[in-house]
Amino acid sequence: MQRSYFRRVAAGGAVAALTLVGVGALTATPAYAATAEVSVVHGIPDTPVDVYVNGEKTLDNFAPGDVAGPLSLAEGAYDIALTKPGEPVDSAILTVDDAEVPGGTNISLAAHLDASGQPKITPFVNDTSKVDAGKSRLIVRHTAAAPAVDVRAGGAPVFTELTNPNEAKADVDAGGVSADVVLAGTETVAIGPADLDLGEGTATIVYAIGSAEANNLEVVAQTITGLHSAPAGVPSGNGGQAATGTNTWLYLLAGAGALLLVGGGARVATARRSNR
Amino acid sequence: MTVRNRGALAAVAAGAAALTVAAVVTIASRPTAEVGADEVTALASTTPSAAGDRSPVPVRKGELPTGAEVVPPVGLRIPTIGVTATVNAVGINPQTNEFEVPPSVDQVGWYRYGPGLAAPAGSVVIAGHVDSSTQGEGAFFRLRELDQGDKLTVTGSDGQERAYRVIAREEYQKTKIPLDRYFARDGDQRLTLITCGGPFDADTRRYRDNLVVTAVPA
Repeated sequence: MQRSYFRRVAAGGAVAALTLVGVGALTATPAYAATAEVSVVHGIPDTPVDVYVNGEKTLDNFAPGDVAGPLSLAEGAYDIALTKPGEPVDSAILTVDDAEVPGGTNISLAAHLDASGQPKITPFVNDTSKVDAGKSRLIVRHTAAAPAVDVRAGGAPVFTELTNPNEAKADVDAGGVSADVVLAGTETVAIGPADLDLGEGTATIVYAIGSAEANNLEVVAQTITGLHSAPAGVPSGNGGQAATGTNTWLYLLAGAGALLLVGGGARVATARRSNR
Repeated sequence: MTVRNRGALAAVAAGAAALTVAAVVTIASRPTAEVGADEVTALASTTPSAAGDRSPVPVRKGELPTGAEVVPPVGLRIPTIGVTATVNAVGINPQTNEFEVPPSVDQVGWYRYGPGLAAPAGSVVIAGHVDSSTQGEGAFFRLRELDQGDKLTVTGSDGQERAYRVIAREEYQKTKIPLDRYFARDGDQRLTLITCGGPFDADTRRYRDNLVVTAVPA
């Protein structure tokens, strides 16, 4: 799915502006939510980096395939820079200036290769809305130097024609599934198959990373928990034997008793008077 | 005393008896008073983490998730009310999106998507039938008799027995029950037993209420 409300401008070695235009409006950020949960995903093979946020080293020797965070960041604009481990921030290999981080969002910043193999950073807003009871959210992001792909679960395509740098998602039954990635419209397996255990009430985000040309395509996974919902109800009886509260027959009994008392009492009184 | 007089006295006696029976049954079947509701609310609240701004950012290998180790309950004993029941792992009825209580009323169901017995936090939920129109009394028929301090024992699939102590008994209309609190995966470790209760609608064959008993590790 095209996240068209992002404008992504980033290129290897170049300083670029990164904005998340309109995200705040789209997610209807509550007034009190002044922070964002930010994770960083490393999807550039063979390139460990140090990560700087606003000139301050935040991640040291961050390895390909690793996921960092979540980090609570106050909403605002951030400068992000990646350097080779140990090198100063002014010799960064990839920088993004003024990345807008809207409050109340959950964002993953993916450092990855674009379709032509150039390193870049793409921000994804993670869908952290609740899933129904019994369900799990599967999100797949194409962040690899590779053509369009299909994602299959149990042999059947679930997402098709996914291209870099876009995502596809669905809420599916929680549990285990065998998944693979094939070149779009073909049976040519590019990644996998792998067994996915989709936890109930969680979002599993799978990033396809690497390069088809370099033959190092693989996946990185990020999990977000706490998205579960309670069941709609707990129906646990239809017999009625355990009913509480006053039943109709009790009112009838009480009414009959009152009538008998009044009627009987009146007769007794009448009889006494007439016997005098 | 005339025959007529004796008849009148008998009527008075019968009337008094009927009133007494009606009154006694009404009192006995009144919704049981709730106990321990505040304790349950306290258990559900989570302590804010004390992590400061300067704590290092956690970094993990981005490996595909594997199923977490869970210890499902397999047996439940509540001596006070004579319950010895098999516990089945159950989920959601796809048609209704409701808790799938085991159809056999002498068995009870553990919500397999929520915490198991070894979980460090949250509510282990076991629900059972109070009764059934075809099978009669269910395993949780007498659940409303439980009171604070009553003991119960849950056996896990690991063979280990875990003791719990009842701290609360609450009753809610099904339309108003705060299910999120009872199906929470955070907050203190606790065991939540749920069944039906309250007035019964003979037309829809549904109870109005849910009865909820909360217990904590003894």
